[in-house]
Amino acid sequence: MGTDRCAYLSRLRRVDPVPKIWLALTALLLCVLVDSLAVGIFTLGALSALNLSLGGQKAGDLFHFLKVPMTFLIIGCLPIILRPIGTAEALWAFRLLGRWTWGVTAENLRLGLLVLCKAMGAVSAMYFLSMNTPMTDLTMALERLHVPRLFVELTELIYRFIFLLAGEAGRIRVAQEARLGYRDFKGSMQALGTLLSTVFVRSLRRGDRVFSALESRGYTGVLITLPGQYASGRWLYGLTAAIAVCQLLILAAERRLLP
Amino acid sequence: MKRSVWKICSLLPLALALLTVPAGAMHIAEGYLPVPWAFGWMAVCVPFVVAGFLSIKKKVALEPRAKVLLAMCGAFAFVLSALKIPTMFGSCSHPTGVGLGTILFGPTATTVLGLIVLLFQALLLAHGGLTTLGANVFSMAIVGPFVSFGLYTLLKKAGAKPALAVFAAAALGDLATYVVTSIQLGVVYGNYLEYLSIFALTQIPLAIAEGLLTVVVFNVLEKYAKEDLRALAVL
Repeated sequence: MGTDRCAYLSRLRRVDPVPKIWLALTALLLCVLVDSLAVGIFTLGALSALNLSLGGQKAGDLFHFLKVPMTFLIIGCLPIILRPIGTAEALWAFRLLGRWTWGVTAENLRLGLLVLCKAMGAVSAMYFLSMNTPMTDLTMALERLHVPRLFVELTELIYRFIFLLAGEAGRIRVAQEARLGYRDFKGSMQALGTLLSTVFVRSLRRGDRVFSALESRGYTGVLITLPGQYASGRWLYGLTAAIAVCQLLILAAERRLLP
Repeated sequence: MKRSVWKICSLLPLALALLTVPAGAMHIAEGYLPVPWAFGWMAVCVPFVVAGFLSIKKKVALEPRAKVLLAMCGAFAFVLSALKIPTMFGSCSHPTGVGLGTILFGPTATTVLGLIVLLFQALLLAHGGLTTLGANVFSMAIVGPFVSFGLYTLLKKAGAKPALAVFAAAALGDLATYVVTSIQLGVVYGNYLEYLSIFALTQIPLAIAEGLLTVVVFNVLEKYAKEDLRALAVL
């Protein structure tokens, strides 16, 4: 599901997740914080390159995932770029219903591009984390970072159950489609309603069974698992600092070259 | 002038159908909000999340079974939001599951489950993001559930038919989520009207579809699973 498969195939899988979290978060926060087009493009390039070279991800996979947030970003940037502009000087404008002037000004175009580049840089930083760290490692790292135990445990259980329920919903869906369940709107509603309620009831019953199974194996309220054997990821801290320095240098250069 | 207005009116349903944006793409993407806003929304969410967390903690201390049940419910919410839902115009999108979750588990538990589900959606599917988690939690796991819950209890008290109460809670909870999302975007970048028309107006058919779907789910649950719903009483 999603980036999960890539994370298990990643070359960085055995590396301690905490440095990976710091690397991704530092790059992400700096990219969002500095408000610069060049830094956004640099972060997108640098973190994607790290993802491909260190993580050994396929370029096609990464490209596929980078396309996902594009839907939101394109429709989300439209209102920034194209908007009522009054009497401002426009690159391109039209009269809406003969009354309001709408158009694109250089200023708004710049802002739209800035938001787009910044967001893509941030997304690539997040992908460095999620495409190279399996979710179970991430939840264990959360615990080491002092997130409350109950929250971590809920996260772990939900993560496990997602795959159970998604598989079940998928099988029911195939069965329904084979019986022309989704032929028209009314039929689809009926079929989807039945699917959801069946999955829900089954998940309740399954929750009950899981609990009984746990209890009969001596469960007293906490699930303790052994942490994986990680390779030390200290060298990633150096990389984190290097990327941060590059981001700041690019920011300074951009400020100097472009007034 | 008049004719052009009519033309636009007649084109509106078509535009709605074409523009119906997939709900997965409706979470505010990573890096889209400036840092002060991103952290501001996180701060707004903190009291709600803490309250929800404490209520869950209390329930789990009383009844250990509740933890596994809650986790199942969270996973159900994730799967629900990943399903494709048909709309009247033939296009497909994803439900938010806000109404269904709230009526089944109550608004405070929904906030915490919503936070975890949104975290998974951000990391596994890149719907939403880490910096925008606060803003997304506020619209999808706080405002939506509370609107749904308020409407549901209000309508039930007023003696409305259960189906109507469920429909209104689910449809308007869904819509409220998207109105809040567009306001969150408009507050930062201005141009509320265009954000509202892109992110909220286009969701009206989806909100209706989600309302209908939730009614169907409730009818089936009422009919066949009353016993199992009693297990939820511990939540």
